[in-house]
Amino acid sequence: MTAAPVAETEDIEPITTHQPVETSSGGPAPESSARYAVILVVGYVISFIVFGVLVAFKGADPISVYHTIISSTVLNANALQQLALRAVPIGLAALAVAVPARAGLINVGGEGQLIMGAVAATGVGVAVGPHVPGVFSWILTCAAGAGAGGIWALIAGVLRTWLGAAEAVTTLLLNFIANDIMLYLIYQAWRDPHGSGQPQSVPLVHSAQLPKMFGSQVNVGVLIALCFVALTWVLLQRTGWGFQLRVVGGNREAARRSGLKVQYLLLSSMAVGGALAGLGGALNLDGVETQLRPDITVTFGYVAFLASFLGRHRPIKVVGAAILFSAIALSGNGLQISNGLDGTIVDILLALIVVVPLVVTNFRRRAA
Amino acid sequence: MNGVEQTLIGGVSGGTAILLPAFGELIGQRAGIINLGAEGAMLAGALGAYAVTQSTGSLWLGIPAGAGAGALVGLAHAWLTVRRGGDQIASGLLLWFLALGGTSVFGTTYVGTTITPLSNLSIPGLSSIPWIGAILFDQDILVYLGYILVVVIWFVFYRTRVGLTLRATGERPEVVAAAGGKPQVVQIIAVVLGAGIGGLGGAQLSIGYVGNWFNNMTSGYGFVAVAVVLFGAWRPIRVMAGAYLFGVVLAAASVLQAHGVSVNQYLLDAMPYLVTLVVLAIFARRGRSDTPEALTRSLSRSG
Repeated sequence: MTAAPVAETEDIEPITTHQPVETSSGGPAPESSARYAVILVVGYVISFIVFGVLVAFKGADPISVYHTIISSTVLNANALQQLALRAVPIGLAALAVAVPARAGLINVGGEGQLIMGAVAATGVGVAVGPHVPGVFSWILTCAAGAGAGGIWALIAGVLRTWLGAAEAVTTLLLNFIANDIMLYLIYQAWRDPHGSGQPQSVPLVHSAQLPKMFGSQVNVGVLIALCFVALTWVLLQRTGWGFQLRVVGGNREAARRSGLKVQYLLLSSMAVGGALAGLGGALNLDGVETQLRPDITVTFGYVAFLASFLGRHRPIKVVGAAILFSAIALSGNGLQISNGLDGTIVDILLALIVVVPLVVTNFRRRAA
Repeated sequence: MNGVEQTLIGGVSGGTAILLPAFGELIGQRAGIINLGAEGAMLAGALGAYAVTQSTGSLWLGIPAGAGAGALVGLAHAWLTVRRGGDQIASGLLLWFLALGGTSVFGTTYVGTTITPLSNLSIPGLSSIPWIGAILFDQDILVYLGYILVVVIWFVFYRTRVGLTLRATGERPEVVAAAGGKPQVVQIIAVVLGAGIGGLGGAQLSIGYVGNWFNNMTSGYGFVAVAVVLFGAWRPIRVMAGAYLFGVVLAAASVLQAHGVSVNQYLLDAMPYLVTLVVLAIFARRGRSDTPEALTRSLSRSG
């Protein structure tokens, strides 16, 4: 290794330390925090340069590539609307990671919880949608989606608290099970007989779809999602429950000794998180997709995990990171059309952004 | 050839693409590092092996290229998690995205091309054993590598000093450090070596199984490998059984369909994950499994 010889204690430190969710000892001193911010910014600049070199290597003009990324996501009204729609499932799934993370739980299952939310919304929407006024259908499908996502996350929560199975792995397994359930429904039980060969479920009737606002492409789901972002912020930052989650996340044993219901807090954080992702899946289905198809989530849940990590599990920052990643994911199409690049090249940009705080972690610890 | 035999042959061959990354993951996790980037290492290995084979015409250069490409991903993971102390899950996922984007960008020139995949080597004598011979001993060389690895890994883990240090690092790195060992070095080597073996798993898909390359061709095998390690309770022989079980179930779906048997392919696909979940639930209780303790600590952010 290139690193200089290190003291013995430092040798073992990285194994037991993690990105702190919230330390009880308060944040780093102001000057070190400023230093951290500078290092972070330098890191991001390096990331953008590396990506620029990469696209240049693939024969595209870096300046034009960055121009495309910005213009295809924020510079025109149409792009902004697409961005808002895309940010709904990714943002809510990112909060689904952030809420349990407050209690020290690792939810890698945003993908599965999104899927189960969409599945439940489809089931309920197709069954009751044609028989009730639209607004009832919207409420019922969203409630079903949130419930399904919550239950899906709760499975991992129960396995963790009762049996000690690592939720980082069980949530991952549940993603694959959710995907297989959805594929089964799409290809067999709920297959659309009029789908002209496309594998997709029966679509929602028009009244059950979320209405678009003010003649734009943006539907009511974006507003609903914003309300739940605000609600999550209040829950985490302004309620006893949110505070207790942080205590449990800080030191589980101390939380237990001071009389907190640790098991209840862990389980409820998973359930709330899963419900948020499930809602995201339901809103995406009601407003954008209107029927299940195999690639409905296309790694949104994993992108959401990285967004929550980048936002250090603070609700507002997490949503900000989710919007940034939604924009990056969305810009893949633009790069393909305008710059002749493979659209998946944006996955590299996403990884290069997330790598910065990972690399900088150590600087921070030294500074703090 | 009947359906059962066909399923088992496919299961061993396809299972090898899970077994190799699972062994790689096993080595890393025994040292206390979980690597969800196994999926990324497989992708890199699949493309690396294919690209080198296609441009040199030599499968024998393709195999080490696959291992090398996987090891590079492992090196990045080791640096981020061991040296920089970064979050293991986040590091693994971001390396997966990096590999997903990187392989599709650099792999475009290979999409649609084909090579002659690794040919099956019949082992003289053994391959003529009725039934079993065709299943186990008429396969490609990477399948045999899996057989060799299970013996080597078992022996090293339980019968050598190196294995003891590795396992101790995964349990109590501070004790290894106190005894004059270098837990960080052990972890870095374990993760890099593991990802290299994972890269061979990718090679089994691209140059062993089909002889072509397409985007995201590993389609979750690396994540399955992580699950298999837990299914196998961190023991090499059980990990091998788990990998072949996954392989057989995956092969069964297509064989059954080819024979016109109506089967619910998706629920069959979900079975291995469900079984793993149940196994985890049963054996997860503290003290009832070989779960490396440092790994448990990395997986619960607060002690």
